[in-house]
Amino acid sequence: MTKKRIGKRLAGLAAAGLLTGVLSACGGGDAGKEAEASDPSKPVELDWLGYNSYAQPDPNADIVKMVEEKFNAKFNIWYVDAQQWNDQVNVKFAAGEIPDVLQIREQIPKYVANGILAEISEDDIRKYAPTYAKVIDDYDASLWNTVKYEGKIYGLPSINLNGDYPQAMIWRKDWLDKVGIDKIPETLDEFETALKKFRNEDPDGNGKKDTYGMSDYALRYIMGAYGMPADQANYVLKDGKIEFAAVQPEMKEALALLNKWYKEELIDPEFITGENTGGYWADSQAFYNNRIGLTGNGMFYHWRNELFGDGDEGGGQYQNFKKAQPDGEIAFGVPPVGPDGQSGAPQWGVNSVPLGITPKAAEDPRKVQTILTMLETSFTDYDYYTTVLRGEEGVDWKEETDGSVIAIKDPNDANASFKRGAQVFNMMENPEFGKKASKQLYAFGDSVKTKGYPPVVVPAVDSLSQYSGNLGKLQQETYMKIIIGEQPVDSFDAFAKSFMDNGGSQVEKDVNEAYQEMLGK
Amino acid sequence: MKIKNRSVSDRIYLTFVYVVLSLLCASIVLPMMQVLTVSVSPVEVINSYGFHLFPTRFDFSGYREVFRNSLIWTAYGNTIFRTVLGTALTVLLTFMGAYPLSKKSLPHRPFWTALIVFTMFFSGGLIPSYMLIKNLGLMNSVWSLVLPGAVSVFLLLIVRNFISALPESLEESAKIDGAGELYILWKIIMPLSMPILATVSLYSAVGHWNAWFDSMLYIRDEHKQVLQLILRKIVIEGTIDPAAGGGTDLIEKPVNSESMKMATLVVSILPIICVYPFLQKYFVKGTMLGSVKG
Repeated sequence: MTKKRIGKRLAGLAAAGLLTGVLSACGGGDAGKEAEASDPSKPVELDWLGYNSYAQPDPNADIVKMVEEKFNAKFNIWYVDAQQWNDQVNVKFAAGEIPDVLQIREQIPKYVANGILAEISEDDIRKYAPTYAKVIDDYDASLWNTVKYEGKIYGLPSINLNGDYPQAMIWRKDWLDKVGIDKIPETLDEFETALKKFRNEDPDGNGKKDTYGMSDYALRYIMGAYGMPADQANYVLKDGKIEFAAVQPEMKEALALLNKWYKEELIDPEFITGENTGGYWADSQAFYNNRIGLTGNGMFYHWRNELFGDGDEGGGQYQNFKKAQPDGEIAFGVPPVGPDGQSGAPQWGVNSVPLGITPKAAEDPRKVQTILTMLETSFTDYDYYTTVLRGEEGVDWKEETDGSVIAIKDPNDANASFKRGAQVFNMMENPEFGKKASKQLYAFGDSVKTKGYPPVVVPAVDSLSQYSGNLGKLQQETYMKIIIGEQPVDSFDAFAKSFMDNGGSQVEKDVNEAYQEMLGK
Repeated sequence: MKIKNRSVSDRIYLTFVYVVLSLLCASIVLPMMQVLTVSVSPVEVINSYGFHLFPTRFDFSGYREVFRNSLIWTAYGNTIFRTVLGTALTVLLTFMGAYPLSKKSLPHRPFWTALIVFTMFFSGGLIPSYMLIKNLGLMNSVWSLVLPGAVSVFLLLIVRNFISALPESLEESAKIDGAGELYILWKIIMPLSMPILATVSLYSAVGHWNAWFDSMLYIRDEHKQVLQLILRKIVIEGTIDPAAGGGTDLIEKPVNSESMKMATLVVSILPIICVYPFLQKYFVKGTMLGSVKG
């Protein structure tokens, strides 16, 4: 009944204005709310979209059955294509099909206005999922702010453990050795010396001057030495105020240096089209092909060069590198320290996709309770967590003597574990258990961890989605033109003005208001 | 040889035509060669610079992956099934719709024609279509893929024009010999319309073979989805930096290799490439026949 009503209302509006904020206007008249718990003797029925949906799980898989039994629930697991999530899900929502639990991949205010998300009371969270709540409190209490809208909680924040690690800066160790540098460069000056030698001293030994220092992936580390890695329309927090990184005066200095390096041919002229010329995003073909000696878009687990025992070949990108350059060696670097002592690598940040419940679920206290209990269990019960995340022991994974968990690759189907129900009910990453299961890997990650600049956690504002495309383009074009010398470095001031005039000021005003509101001031 | 006898302007024209055609041809053949080569190459070759038009070293791991992936074969079956079913339906319905419209004796013929043509310019849009399919109970079945587009107005009009152009005297003589309406339709009009029906079936088959958006919207089960959608998924996977989406990723999540992606492409386009040369004459003939004649 309720589903139909919401559906009709949504659909009509969606047809008119495709999921804009209009819905809140007529969403208020929801007087006859049937707030009652379902029959407790029957399993609680949940439409489930609270997972990544990499592949469609078998509804009769053992893991699904186990979870259903454990929580006296019956799941209707939705499957949407993970790569076209929003396209598919928006049509369903507009047509009135709404799950009980979903990953929130859109801006929360938008979903709230359209009646997709329901409030989750903090009391319920603390009552049914105390361990989870405590983990978030301890990890980064500001994560709660990311799911708040007008002071109410509309989602369960989640942690991306890998986002706690900055991206990895990778040097060609054998090149450094060859040009007589025995210490990994740490300051901008040392970087410049090393890159110059890479360019001029033929580190690959082919007798041709065809090597460069770096390409586009390392640019943001250099900017980091000046206080922030500007990337499209990203923010930086300055004295409690949110500003655009792209227009900061420090970036002018960074660009002046990069322009100088470009003129000295330290930067590969092909950086414009990127050092990744296809394939997996963390690959750098320029690095694999002896063109540059410094890269840095991957994570520590992509470039892991410490091998864990027999048969282990290291991280995926390290393997690709070794296949292309069997005699090459890499070394993990540190982001360069700038003139004012600042440094840092780009970092994803721990804030990950939050989980939300819909009004349909919020109406039934049993559903809310079940969902929160499931979440709590995955934060308290290691065996349960490992099973729902990775699948069955002995089939999908095995435990090493030190307790780390190794995935067993199915020779017939790369997605086999997803089909058997893995990664459906884990709901979100549990950092403590994640580290426990991959002890060696995270120990390695910790050993090469550097300083990073995580993104500023702010609420999304409408004006940003409106302007960010053009602003990002403006930033990228201008930065590129300044680096290659097509525009003088001094044109940065004109760029900063035009950036702010073309929507930048508007976004900055909106986002600061929203930020203050989020902080509850 | 022949070119010698022609005038200068003709020769310039022909040279120009051949240059443009060769360029066009190269722009189609070269990417194909790249795809073929990458599909049989090891990763270090794929990651090296330059074009990969001829394989230098062989590694068939990409194909091994593809042949192990049962989903591709299920999707293959689904695509073939929808193509056959959809094409048969389209031909049947288009023909049966076009025939009466071609008859001048049909009452209110301009009205019916206008009504049908109207739908060519206006449609309900994405969400109403979705709700229609859902409320008709077609979700998650092959009918949601073949019914909505079963009759294309454009093809219907082509067929109608074609039938109108057939000499009326044929029908009259059949009538004199005592043939009924249905007999005339199946035994006189149908065989004469074969060229245009071949065109219609080819258009429709290629359309069905390449379609994926409807499958993404209407089909919930992965094992009912069509080849192009699965293909799209395999090819896109891994190219997007998760930092942009803020998604969580399993570190050991398997990544499709480039050679596997390209092998999938080869496997999925091969049948249509094999069929095309034999069918394309109908394309040419059919379009000509559908246009104004004599």
